Amino acid sequence: MATQPAIRQGSSSAAGLAVQDIHEDTTVKWFLLGAVCYFAVVGIIALIIAAKFVWPQFLGSISYFTYGRMRPLHVNGMLFGWLLAADMGLAYYLVPRLCGVKLWSEKLGVATSILWNVIILSAIVTLLGGYQKGLEYADLPTPVAVLVVIAWIMFGTNIFMTILNRKYEQMYVSTWYLMGTILWTAFVYLTGNFATLLPGVTGVNQANLNWMYTHNAVGLIFTPAGLAVAYYFIPRASNSPLYSHKLSMIGFWSLAFVYVWTGAHHMLHGPISEWLQTIAIVFSVMLLIPVWAVVYNFIATMKGQWHQLGDNVSLKFLMSGTIFYLLTCFQGPMHSLRSVNAIVSKTDWIPGHAHMAVLGTFSFMAMAGVYYVTPRIFHTKLHSETLANWSFWLFLIGGLGMFTALWLGGFWQGWQWNNPSIPFIDTVVALEPVWMVRFLSGIIIFSGIVLFMFNILSTAIDGGKSSAAVPARS
Amino acid sequence: MLDKTDKNAMGFIAAALGLFFIGGLLTTVAPPLLDKSWNKPFENHDPTKGPTGKLVAYTDQEMRGYRIYIREGCKYCHTQQTRTLLSDVKRSGWKGVDSPVSTPDEFVNDWRQTFGTKRTGPDLSRVGGKYNKQWHKAHFNNPRDLVPGSIMPPFPWIANNPQELDDLVAYLQTRGRAKDWRPDNDYEK
Repeated sequence: MATQPAIRQGSSSAAGLAVQDIHEDTTVKWFLLGAVCYFAVVGIIALIIAAKFVWPQFLGSISYFTYGRMRPLHVNGMLFGWLLAADMGLAYYLVPRLCGVKLWSEKLGVATSILWNVIILSAIVTLLGGYQKGLEYADLPTPVAVLVVIAWIMFGTNIFMTILNRKYEQMYVSTWYLMGTILWTAFVYLTGNFATLLPGVTGVNQANLNWMYTHNAVGLIFTPAGLAVAYYFIPRASNSPLYSHKLSMIGFWSLAFVYVWTGAHHMLHGPISEWLQTIAIVFSVMLLIPVWAVVYNFIATMKGQWHQLGDNVSLKFLMSGTIFYLLTCFQGPMHSLRSVNAIVSKTDWIPGHAHMAVLGTFSFMAMAGVYYVTPRIFHTKLHSETLANWSFWLFLIGGLGMFTALWLGGFWQGWQWNNPSIPFIDTVVALEPVWMVRFLSGIIIFSGIVLFMFNILSTAIDGGKSSAAVPARS
Repeated sequence: MLDKTDKNAMGFIAAALGLFFIGGLLTTVAPPLLDKSWNKPFENHDPTKGPTGKLVAYTDQEMRGYRIYIREGCKYCHTQQTRTLLSDVKRSGWKGVDSPVSTPDEFVNDWRQTFGTKRTGPDLSRVGGKYNKQWHKAHFNNPRDLVPGSIMPPFPWIANNPQELDDLVAYLQTRGRAKDWRPDNDYEK
């Protein structure tokens, strides 16, 4: 029904090049190629810190490479260098297409991309230098955080001006999610990076603002950005209309209301007001509403189309991302129950959960988008479907290896912690095999990243060659 | 109403921000106004109301140590909260004495919150006074010399820098000392 215009407009643009040609996509290219390279660079950091759990002396006596400086670089590099940059690049691709107009300003877009690279390179230098701000996820020093705010305003202006100039009055779900991302991110980021530094904000007060940011960095930045991508590419990649517009509205507006309340669930049983913990628990459980609405919609869209998974890499990433989304967002509400939290909180279970959200769900969705978009913006074919398929299986196998090892290990660890007669160091030694499996899984995931990067960069080079051969292309 | 936000970008913006700010303000701005313990330093002289003691301000040296703790990202492996769980109270305890639970008023002077999310190493909320400087120096130099099986990274650039070592140890000795819950100066050798 209401979704049909967007889909019909979509398929006609896929068929007729005339519609495609109004888009320059320069900004998309800059953002996506940068994101793909940072994915691999930060992947090396990820492998190093995984190795440090197995060989604690590895690169240990050089201050720049100590674990406590590399971990924030891994987190910020993956979140901002790869995932957010990829989501932004995809937003620059799909908003103009959903609005039927050109991007408001390609120049502003390219400038945003240049600024973004400055931010990521500064992050690498400052975090390894020990200039971290000391707030989780908001580790970037304040001057760099100011640059992020400026870049976000540039990005938001470009996207919102494009939307205001749109030809189609009706806005598709992906457009809402991206508008939500831009608006909410602005306030979530300001809370985590600047409100936390206001005079008099200390201790528990600062932690509460920090968790509001940390939780919503995932919930109100990466979730809506990732879902915008999935809502666009699941119907496009499978060539079938979205199952239900109404369900997508329920999912969107319940996300808008529910997510922001849950920050305090990071401090359950801890030194924070009991009633605030209870509020966080209630709203965490209510998160099942937006998640199940979205997942049902995606799965129902695929009804009768599952056979397409076999030869469509983007769909493979999208649908396994959807399953991981269902799982990770079932874990989340369960962790916030006091009894479960008493076992899994602070254990290795939590990185297992976090990686399923950020890698398994939202990076999978972003990679699906990048695989879909890159050949189209470079007017060529994907360099190798076979390698793309390999990258998917490496990500899936490595990811599952890592997630399950950390869940089992973390649960066991929490179980041991709850028996105070077991000395703490014994619970560390017990986890050694788990950290070894995590490291080996990391190598498999990293191979997937390398294949992904190689394929995308080669596609871009192929596109450059073929457009040089056909100079008449407008 | 929501159908309109489908076509009207301004209506959409108002609705998306409105819903966000209800929860946003009620969970960030309201709690410190409602729960005074978030901003009032711990002080208790009445043993019938629980552990006695007083939270004192950091000295300059302790602040320098605090900044080193942040610089090296210690909080990525060490939490600083004795939760209301029996196992936390036992594990943060010392020589058979249970530790009191951490309360918000003990952290009012904390310039950067260090509660942490991951407990790769033991919790440090009550580490103050447990180990002396010689122990910390040897431990920072190579943790496995003192704790076989440990996976803590070595910190030779701190162990071999007398000023930084003194500062960091001074900070660590403040951890959990606002509440008088056990005799002073019983450093483990």
